[in-house]
Amino acid sequence: MIKKKMIISQETMDVDFVRKVEALAGTSVRRCFQCGKCSAGCPMATFMEHPPNRIMRLLQLGQWQRVLAGRSIWYCVSCETCTTRCPNTVDLASIMDALRKLSWDSDGASKESYVQLANKLFLQNIRTYGRQYEMRLAAVFNVKSGQFLKDLMLGPKLIAKGKLKMFHSKNKNISEIEKIFTRIEEMRKKGDAL
Amino acid sequence: MGKPLNYSYYPGCSLHASASEYDLSTRELFNVLGIGLTEVPDWFCCGATPAHNVDELLSLALCAKNLELADKVEGDMAVACASCFSRLKTAQHVLGVSDVKRTQVEKAIDAPVKLDSNVKHLLEILAKDLGLERLAAAVNKPLSGLKVACYYGCLLTRPSDVPNLDCAEAPTIMEKVIEAVGAETVAWTHRLECCGANFTLSRPGVVIQLTNAVLESAKAAGADCIMVGCPLCHGNLDIRQKEIEGVYNTSYGLPVFYLTQLIGISVGLGADKLGLDAMMVNPMPLLKEKGLL
Amino acid sequence: MSRIGVFICHCGENISRTVDVERVAQEVGRLPGVAFSTDYKYMCSDPGQTLVKKAIQEQKLSHVVVAACSPRMHEKTFRKAVEAAGLNPFLCEMANIREHCSWVHENREEATVKAIDIVGMMVERVKKNRILPTITVPVTKRALVIGGGIAGIQAALDIADCGHEVILVEREPSIGGHMAQLSETFPTLDCSQCIMTPKMVDVANHPKIKLYTYSEIELVEGYIGNFQVTIKKKARSVDEDKCTGCGVCMTKCPQKKIPNKFDQNIGMRTAIYVPFPQAVPNTPVIDRDNCTWFKTGKCGVCQKVCGPGAIDFEQQDTLIVEAVGAIVVSTGFDLYTIAEKPKGSPIKGYGEFGHGKIPDVIDGMTFERLASASGPTGGKILRPSDGKEPKQIVFIQCVGSRAREKGISYCSKVCCMYTAKHTMLYHHKVHDGQAYVFFMDARTPGKSYDEFWRRSIEEEEAVYIRGMVSRLYQKGDKIVVMGSDISVGVQVEIEADMVVLATAIQPQKGADALAQKLGISYDKYHFYSEAHAKLRPVECATAGIYLAGACQGPKDIPETVSQASAAAAKVMALFSRNQMEREPIVARVREAGCVGCFACKKVCAYGAVEEKEIRDRQGNLIKVVAYVNPGVCAGCGTCQATCPSKSVELDGYTDEQIIAMIEAL
Ligand SMILES: Cc1cc2nc3c(=O)[nH]c(=O)nc-3n(C[C@H](O)[C@H](O)[C@H](O)COP(=O)(O)OP(=O)(O)OC[C@H]3O[C@@H](n4cnc5c(N)ncnc54)[C@H](O)[C@@H]3O)c2cc1C
Ligand code: SF4
Ligand code: SF4
Ligand code: SF4
Ligand code: SF4
Repeated sequence: MIKKKMIISQETMDVDFVRKVEALAGTSVRRCFQCGKCSAGCPMATFMEHPPNRIMRLLQLGQWQRVLAGRSIWYCVSCETCTTRCPNTVDLASIMDALRKLSWDSDGASKESYVQLANKLFLQNIRTYGRQYEMRLAAVFNVKSGQFLKDLMLGPKLIAKGKLKMFHSKNKNISEIEKIFTRIEEMRKKGDAL
Repeated sequence: MGKPLNYSYYPGCSLHASASEYDLSTRELFNVLGIGLTEVPDWFCCGATPAHNVDELLSLALCAKNLELADKVEGDMAVACASCFSRLKTAQHVLGVSDVKRTQVEKAIDAPVKLDSNVKHLLEILAKDLGLERLAAAVNKPLSGLKVACYYGCLLTRPSDVPNLDCAEAPTIMEKVIEAVGAETVAWTHRLECCGANFTLSRPGVVIQLTNAVLESAKAAGADCIMVGCPLCHGNLDIRQKEIEGVYNTSYGLPVFYLTQLIGISVGLGADKLGLDAMMVNPMPLLKEKGLL
Repeated sequence: MSRIGVFICHCGENISRTVDVERVAQEVGRLPGVAFSTDYKYMCSDPGQTLVKKAIQEQKLSHVVVAACSPRMHEKTFRKAVEAAGLNPFLCEMANIREHCSWVHENREEATVKAIDIVGMMVERVKKNRILPTITVPVTKRALVIGGGIAGIQAALDIADCGHEVILVEREPSIGGHMAQLSETFPTLDCSQCIMTPKMVDVANHPKIKLYTYSEIELVEGYIGNFQVTIKKKARSVDEDKCTGCGVCMTKCPQKKIPNKFDQNIGMRTAIYVPFPQAVPNTPVIDRDNCTWFKTGKCGVCQKVCGPGAIDFEQQDTLIVEAVGAIVVSTGFDLYTIAEKPKGSPIKGYGEFGHGKIPDVIDGMTFERLASASGPTGGKILRPSDGKEPKQIVFIQCVGSRAREKGISYCSKVCCMYTAKHTMLYHHKVHDGQAYVFFMDARTPGKSYDEFWRRSIEEEEAVYIRGMVSRLYQKGDKIVVMGSDISVGVQVEIEADMVVLATAIQPQKGADALAQKLGISYDKYHFYSEAHAKLRPVECATAGIYLAGACQGPKDIPETVSQASAAAAKVMALFSRNQMEREPIVARVREAGCVGCFACKKVCAYGAVEEKEIRDRQGNLIKVVAYVNPGVCAGCGTCQATCPSKSVELDGYTDEQIIAMIEAL
């Protein structure tokens, strides 16, 4: 892989992006002093092309394209180990959330389609049913991700054990959930929320 | 006897589906212990990981909505799922410290945010509200000789100052609870390591690798079984165990119990009331061997 | 009518950048009572001071206001200049238009207006200034040194060599402090005992040094030149005059399994003990908590075997009062531990490293004891758990230091260097072993220091890994180290036989309590504060008290010794005079108004308020009033604010002066 040289200047360091991340995550990016303790304990670090501390570093340099271009942020499982152990109380797990949100908004800047897809379906389910129905989630996920046979062996067993319900009902107050979704959409349209 | 204990109960989505045995055993156990549970009427999904992963505002709003609904039922909020627990606690924390986010969430749910209710995981209710002594007093079939590996996973205790259930790095609450009902606990290395959680759907390969390390560690420590307080952990450790054994060409045979199931056994509840038949790794041989069923 | 001179300083550009100094000079020149006003680039410089002096003489000035930096910086300078020109120094005041104005504002117009106000207030105030006579006090030429580590030892020897008496008080049974525990010392690797012991013996033999070990400071009264210190000498249960130091008692004592703190609790000692063979004094003490006699009333073996009959079970704690003129505080440091801390403590432990419960995870000082030829293993590096020699050893730097999350954000300064030293000592002793160091960066400023660190890597083959460790756990008889190498960007896992943590340097436990007795200030970590970080680094703000060593902040031995000698020089400068002058900013009681409620006496933190009887000519008692001892008063003004009948006034800060300032606004 060829790595592009990083040209650093006030123009190439996107401070506004960093501020946005900080506002969403409620934590400081500059505070990180690159000790690497987050990466040392991250259960997902081996799957990421940029370990967590490097994501912090790239952010400090305002290089968000490099962060979002990769899959790393989609491999974070939100275990909060990094946040718990950071000697500088950097809430890195929340920074990961913020980055995923910004990537999600920019629609597909990042390549981790499976996790994105799962998240999308999950949220759709909430919007439609008010609650999560795992059977539906799994089935639709497999169809949409083209892995029809994934976990095929598990399905019938789970149904037999009563773990996957074939039918489900909607919440009585389901209209309220739709309202929450739409209000948030409107706030964002008006620029009242990130 | 102390004052009567009554809670608003938030089972969470999993307990109405893949973790129905957790729901069942919780209701049965609390009934025996004389702890009142009233389900939060028309609760919604808390948003779990996917919501905060990509849309914190939505996650906060869903949690705030549920806190509002729970407020209508008397008592502190009893939460069974570690993930829901973590989300609700985090929402309370964030909404408490950030005025900006609180204002946004109030707009989204069109109601004032209620932050004063006490959100408690079942473990907390058993260990602190009921108390270990009263718990021990309810036991009629001590789990003597059963070696339990208590698995905290990530979300029960992390990050340090948010859930406030126990020390984030050296928690003991699970061990204390299960020792109170007569079991032995093992010291093992992976009780706080991540199992891969909700990646079970999108990246099962990752989950298989991480969960294997957890199972391996529990087995190496000489555990007979694993105890959890989270349907996600349970899903990975129990449902995927056979598959993992296949991938790594090994055999663990470690039944994975919800805390309420194990404690349920100790207070004399039968297999049918605890949903033991729903477990993928059959616990019956172990329980029979130890003379517990 | 007063003829006030006002001198506005540009402070280079520090003030003139935001304040229009010429305009300030012009406008305050118009104030009633101001006879002269001018501005100048550097008022504190020699030409600047000459300008002030000349103006006083030529313009026949009665008062002076210098508008410049903080009075903490230059009040003394200008008062001296004013005095040289023949005016009483207390008729000169400073108006702070730098810290309080130019440095904190950006808008030039607003800053200029504020500067005019500040100067105007000081003009009104100075009009009410009185001529104050300087106060002289006698100087007791004896020094007290608290803490007998290398800092205290050095300061005591320097002062005593100059011919002054020194009282050295040490809390432990022997002097020596942490340096006595070290094996070899960076950056030269000379043996710590070999360079330390001769100095300890010098202390013991010095005719001018009076040593109180196993003793603590109970009470400090008085002020610079005239302190009275009460020392509590704890019962040693051994008569120091009779004991010959033969050591028979220790060989016979049946309690042999008491962990020795000096050996970081890996070695054992008896109940009657000296902490280490080279201890000074070489007189044992009985640890009453662990002695069979004190626990059960039986045993007394030591008493039976002691030839000179030195054992005294009846001995009591005694209190001794000593008069001294100066105090050097050198109470050193304590090591942070990763153990679980009590709930609510501002400092947290390391659960992720096992809270100190993994036996072969040790701290740097324990490693020193293992490496020391006189240590519990005779200088062999052996694991505490099973006595095996570790072949894979991991060092972790910055444990507790630079860790806000644990409550400590400072760098402990010495651990990068001693960790490099440890890798060398390890390599010298375990030839087939490998040392790894997890670090963030190597902080090695100092003469020959960086070269020392590089040597540990290039010649002694230590492997340095840039990255921190997330977790340590026991797996079989190994310790799994979960780290990362941020240069490579990968996780690193090492199965180590032993892990050594470079834990943070913290002040001694109880440092705050001692500070309160001494009336000196300390920072949020309880390190003692110097009067000025750059220009008065060895003095406390409280006059007559000086600092040396790690009690003021993390320091290595060379720095500690330098500071100790510097503190000694300060003490000697003080002792070079028979009398000393002090600022007359003290409180005075208007006896006519005083109702004798003694509210002032209750609030005075310095114990300066006394009771004074007023009698008529026949000797009949009329009333009892408050009297402020000007030698003791620190000029804090608390009494003035407390007095319900407004009968106490602080010279230089009278109500009249303050009201004049407010009215000028
Ligand atoms: C593991 C380790 C290795 C080190 N290696 C080196 C090295 O190789 N080279 C180097 O230059 N530096 C080294 N240092 C640093 C060195 O130890 C310190 O610089 C030095 O010990 C500081 O001396 P001190 O006298 O200020 O404090 P201390 O040595 O702590 O002495 C303070 C003394 O005051 C006494 N005391 C405390 N409170 C009271 C009280 N209230 N009343 C009476 N007495 C009291 C204590 O008992 C103690 O005797 C090392 C430090 C550590 C932790
Ligand atoms: S642990 Fe904290 S300080 Fe260290 S690299 Fe990670 S985010 Fe930065
Ligand atoms: S929260 Fe994400 S980045 Fe942090 S340790 Fe867990 S998986 Fe890694
Ligand atoms: S107390 Fe007696 S036996 Fe012990 S060292 Fe002193 S003289 Fe020797
Ligand atoms: S001296 Fe080195 S090891 Fe010690 S705290 Fe500072 S950087 Fe860390």
